[in-house]
Amino acid sequence: MLKFLKQVGDYTKETVQAARYIGQGLSVTFDHMRRRPVTVQYPYEKLIPSERFRGRIHFEFDKCISCEVCVRVCPINLPVVDWEFNKETKKKKLKHYSIDFGVCIFCGNCVEYCPTNCLSMTEEYELATYDRHELNYDNVALGRLPYKVTDDPMVTPLRELAYLPKGVTDPHDLPADAQRVGLRPEQILEQMEKNGDS
Amino acid sequence: MNPGIDLQETFIQSLVELGLPADLAKAIWMPLPMLLMIIGATVGVLVTVWLERKISAAAQQRIGPEFIGPLGVLAPVADGLKLVFKEDVVPAKADALLFTLGPVIVVIPVFLSYLIVPFGQNLVITDLGMGVFIWITLSSIAPIGLLMAGYASNNKYSLLGGLRAAAQSISYEIPLALSVLAIAMMSNSLSTIDIVQQQSGYGILGWNIWRQPVGFIIFWIAILAECERLPFDLPEAEEELVAGYQTEYAGMKFGLFYLGSYVNLVLSSLLFAVLYLGGWDFPVPINLLAGWVGISETNTILQVVTAALGITMTLLKAYFLVFLAVLMRWTVPRVRIDQLLDLGWKFLLPISLVNLLLTAALKISFPLAFGG
Repeated sequence: MLKFLKQVGDYTKETVQAARYIGQGLSVTFDHMRRRPVTVQYPYEKLIPSERFRGRIHFEFDKCISCEVCVRVCPINLPVVDWEFNKETKKKKLKHYSIDFGVCIFCGNCVEYCPTNCLSMTEEYELATYDRHELNYDNVALGRLPYKVTDDPMVTPLRELAYLPKGVTDPHDLPADAQRVGLRPEQILEQMEKNGDS
Repeated sequence: MNPGIDLQETFIQSLVELGLPADLAKAIWMPLPMLLMIIGATVGVLVTVWLERKISAAAQQRIGPEFIGPLGVLAPVADGLKLVFKEDVVPAKADALLFTLGPVIVVIPVFLSYLIVPFGQNLVITDLGMGVFIWITLSSIAPIGLLMAGYASNNKYSLLGGLRAAAQSISYEIPLALSVLAIAMMSNSLSTIDIVQQQSGYGILGWNIWRQPVGFIIFWIAILAECERLPFDLPEAEEELVAGYQTEYAGMKFGLFYLGSYVNLVLSSLLFAVLYLGGWDFPVPINLLAGWVGISETNTILQVVTAALGITMTLLKAYFLVFLAVLMRWTVPRVRIDQLLDLGWKFLLPISLVNLLLTAALKISFPLAFGG
């Protein structure tokens, strides 16, 4: 009899504990309801990509020396470099250059290894098309610069979390001159020069 | 006790005075409250869907529907319109008749149950003597429709979903009925009007929630299971069963299931408010307030205010429960089928039985407080 009562008691305790856990969970969910939404309302608001953002690749035709390093470092040998050897000047003459962004994984190896810095990353990420062949950019398309989010009058640019002032988590209605947490690169340089270490 | 406004009497009387026979006047009256209730139920569903989407969004720090109408209130309407205009697909090897009949059988009893939902002393379609009982009876028809839909779809996920829905409904019907029985025993009646009547008089202190705290929780759990809401939404658990019995449904047939589940949620919340939270009763007795201010009970304005307040209170209580259900949805994880049946048969059933026996004992020993 005593054992049975103990069992009942234990069971009741467990039940009460479970009910308390559910109550705790409910209070957490309830608390979340008064927090401000973190939504970025995309076509009307856009985040400003960070300076290390790896978007569509930009290519400067005139700087290219057709060395094909970009092809060698590319995981799938993606860039297509079409050149011809000019016997008079004894130099390679670049005719066409193209990258298919439907296949590119935006690893940035080509940009990293390009000896003449003719490749660079842009902050363009809206690459959707109706036909995947449209993603095969030739040297003309690669030479175009994307439109900056901050210049677009239709878009409210929002700063990313790491670019907000200390203690602020909401990018909306931020004063334009509010500086992000920490020192900016030029400030760090200045400080290093002042301290005399280079 | 003042009966308050009786629209039916007034309507029929005015028609009779115009020279119509009394039977005809009654026949003209009859479809009006039914139509009003169906429209009310449908609007209630639209509001619930909107609330569900907004509250879910808020609980997840999102915004939710915003551009379809002010604050996105037209989002559920847009959903409904889309479902109406979609192609009605019946799978090639499905049983076409059962496939069509399934959603119909699920939806009709739910709408029929609105017969007994009272919004005031006389604001109810019919004051049936067996009120709550008819609701329990009708709600046990729905699993047949679900089983039909699951079987007729000719799809293993649908069949499993249908079977789960049936098992779930049957297991949770019993604790539900037992906790309602305890209420009925205290009220000496199954009529929803009488049940509210018995709770009124003392304001918030007279509500059944204080006399039936255990029944209150059992009823709430059983209702969540009956409506297939999380944590008991395993008949349509998308991670396991695609969408359960709804997998093969598209267009308006799917729309009927969707409508049915939300109507059922609203209906259950309304009945929950009626059974445990005093229905249309204001937290402070209105008659008492009127007495203090010095307005007589037969004052027309007071009666109109009381009726309006009654409807508002019922809806407020019901929507508070809907809110709780939505919050619950984003708090607790889904239970497994064996845990579900364990909870139903090994926990809720014995506890509701004990609750019933305790209520009976209390009724005999304290007839004053427990409705002798």
